[in-house]
Amino acid sequence: MKKRMTAIFLTAAMTVVMMTGCGSKEGTTESGGDKGTGDSYTVGIQQFAEHGSLDNCREGFIKGLEEEGIVKGENLTLEIKNAMADTATNAQIADGFASDKVDMICAIATPSAQSAYNAAMDKEIPVIYTAVTDPVAAELADKDGNPVGEITGTSDKLPVEEQLKMIRALLPEAKKLGIMYTTSEANSVSAIEEYQLLAGDYGFELIEKGITQTADVALAADDLLEQVDCMTNLTDNTVVASLPTILEKANEKGIPVFGSEIEQVKIGCLAAEGIDYIALGKQTGKMAAQVLKGEKKASDIPYEIITEPGFYVNNKVAENLKIEIPADLTEQAIESFDEISE
Amino acid sequence: MDFVISIMEQGLIYGILALGVYITYKILDFPDLTVDGSFPLGGAVTAFLLTRGANPYLSLFAAFLAGALAGVCTGLIHVKCRVRDLLSGIIMMTALWTINLYIAGTANVPLFSQETIFKNGILEKVFPEGLQPYSTLLIIIILMLISKFLLDAYLQTKSGYLLRAVGDNATLVISLAKDQGNVKIVGLALANGLVSLAGSIFCQEERVFEISMGTGAIVIGLASVIIGTSIFRKFTMLKATSAVITGSVIYKACVAIALQNFEPQAMKLITAVLFLVILIVGMERRKKVKTDAGA
Repeated sequence: MKKRMTAIFLTAAMTVVMMTGCGSKEGTTESGGDKGTGDSYTVGIQQFAEHGSLDNCREGFIKGLEEEGIVKGENLTLEIKNAMADTATNAQIADGFASDKVDMICAIATPSAQSAYNAAMDKEIPVIYTAVTDPVAAELADKDGNPVGEITGTSDKLPVEEQLKMIRALLPEAKKLGIMYTTSEANSVSAIEEYQLLAGDYGFELIEKGITQTADVALAADDLLEQVDCMTNLTDNTVVASLPTILEKANEKGIPVFGSEIEQVKIGCLAAEGIDYIALGKQTGKMAAQVLKGEKKASDIPYEIITEPGFYVNNKVAENLKIEIPADLTEQAIESFDEISE
Repeated sequence: MDFVISIMEQGLIYGILALGVYITYKILDFPDLTVDGSFPLGGAVTAFLLTRGANPYLSLFAAFLAGALAGVCTGLIHVKCRVRDLLSGIIMMTALWTINLYIAGTANVPLFSQETIFKNGILEKVFPEGLQPYSTLLIIIILMLISKFLLDAYLQTKSGYLLRAVGDNATLVISLAKDQGNVKIVGLALANGLVSLAGSIFCQEERVFEISMGTGAIVIGLASVIIGTSIFRKFTMLKATSAVITGSVIYKACVAIALQNFEPQAMKLITAVLFLVILIVGMERRKKVKTDAGA
C-alpha cells in the first residue's frame, strides 16, 4: 500500500515535470524557432537583475536585432527571463534555455553570462553577452580579448579617465573625490582599482568607502560626505539603487555628485561621462544578428567596448550647486536635462 | 529529457544542503541560519583551492571541513557564550560573508579554465562516450548517495542516537550523563559540513563562485525539508533523509515549472503558491491518517 502510494506520487510528479518540458518545446515549434528552418530564430534573454541600465541593454539588444531584420513576432521568438539577482534561479534559467535548445542565449550582466556559457558550451548554443565589465577577469575572453568559446559580446567598462578629466574641468578646485562601492561587487572593485591608479594624475585624492548592503548606504554617505569635496558613482548595483538617499544628503551639504550613466544624471547627478546602455545593447544586437545569420561564429568575434563615452549633464543640478558648465562641454553634451526627475 | 536532467542536477545538489538543514531543523530543533554563510563558504574554499591547482576531489573534503568548522563556531557561540540559537546563526552568517570574500579573493571567481570534479582528464577516460552527457548527473548522484548513506549510518551510531535525543528528549541525554551542549556542537558541525559540501559541488557544477550564492540558501533548505517530510510523512518505509532529498528535487521542479510558464517577475509568488499547495496536500494526508486511526 505504502509503496503503491509512493509510486503513484512519483509518477504524478514526473508527469508534471515532463509535461511542462514538452509544453515549452511545442511553443518553440509553433513559432517556427527550429534551427533547421534557417531564417527564423529563438533567442533566450537571460537578465541577472531588474535594473535601469540592464533593462536598457535588453531594449537596445532587441532594437539592434530589429535593425538587422530580425524582428520579434516575425522571424524571432524571444524568451525573456530575469533571475532577480538570485544565483540559484540564474543557474536554472541557463539550464532551461540550454534544454530548450534555443538558437542563442543573450546574457545580460556577468553572472548571467557565466552561467549561460556554462550551460550552453556542451550544447553548442552561442552566447552573446552585454554589460559585462571585465570579460577577461570573468574568464569569458582570453588576455588578448578573444573569446574562450562560442561566446562574445560587449563590455560596459567605465571610461574612468574621461570621467576624471570631466570632473577636473567642472571643479578646478576640488581635491578630495569620494566613491562609495559594494565590496562584494567584482565590477566595482576593479573600477576602484582603476580610479586609484588614475586619480593622482588629475590631482585628486581618492577616498573610497566600501559597504556590504543597502542598509549601510545612509551611514556610509554621512561619513563620506564629511570628508570629500565631490563624489562620483560607479555602476555599482547597490549604490545606484540607493542613489536618491545619497543625493539628498549631498544636496544638503552642497556637494556635487557625478554619475556614471544617463539614468543617474536624470535623477539628479551633476554630470557623467558615461555609457549609453541602449547603444551598447544595439551594438550587441548587431553582433548577435551576425552570429544568428551564420555570417560569423561567436568564437571569431572579439568582445567590443564603446570607445567614445557620451557626456551628460543636468543643468538644474548645476544651477542649484552654482556650478558653471564650461561652454565647450555643454556643446559636446549628448543629452542635457533641465529638471530633476523623481 | 534535458529539462528533467537539469532539475535532477540542481535538486540533488541542493538535496545535500537539505540533509544539513534536516539535521539542525528537524533533529536538533535548532533554527540554524549559518547555512546562508556556510553554503558559499564551500564555494569560496573550492574557488581558492582550484585556482591554485589543487585536486578538485580534495576540495570537497576541504569544503566539508571548513563548513564543519563554521558549525562548531556557531555551536560554541550558542553553547559556551549562551547566545540564543537564532542569533548565533545570524552572527556566524554575517561573519562568514567577510570570511568568504577573504578566502575567494574577489566576489566573483570564474572556474572555466580549472579542472573540476565534473570535468577533468581522468573522467574523460573513465566515462564511455555515450554516457558523457549524463556524467554530471551521475557524479552528483554518487556524491548524494555517499552523503546520504554516511549520514544514515552515523545516525545509527551511539553519537547519532544522542543527537536525535537532544532534539526529542533533552532530559534523556542529561540522565545518560552526557553533555547536550557537545552533542549540539557535533550536530551543527555535521550539518554545516554537508551544506558547505553542497556549496562546493554547486560551485564546481556552475564553474563560478559568486559571493551572493548563499542568499536564500536556508529558505531552499527549509522548503526542501518541509516538503519532503510532510509529503512522505505516511511512508515510514522511506528514510527521512531520502524524503528530504526528494523534497529538494520537488522544490527545484516547482521553480523550474514557474520559470518555464510564468513571467519572471511573478516567479517568487508562483513558487510560494506551489510550495503552499504541496504543504496543504501533505497536511490533508496527515488528517486522513488520524481519522483512519480513529476508525
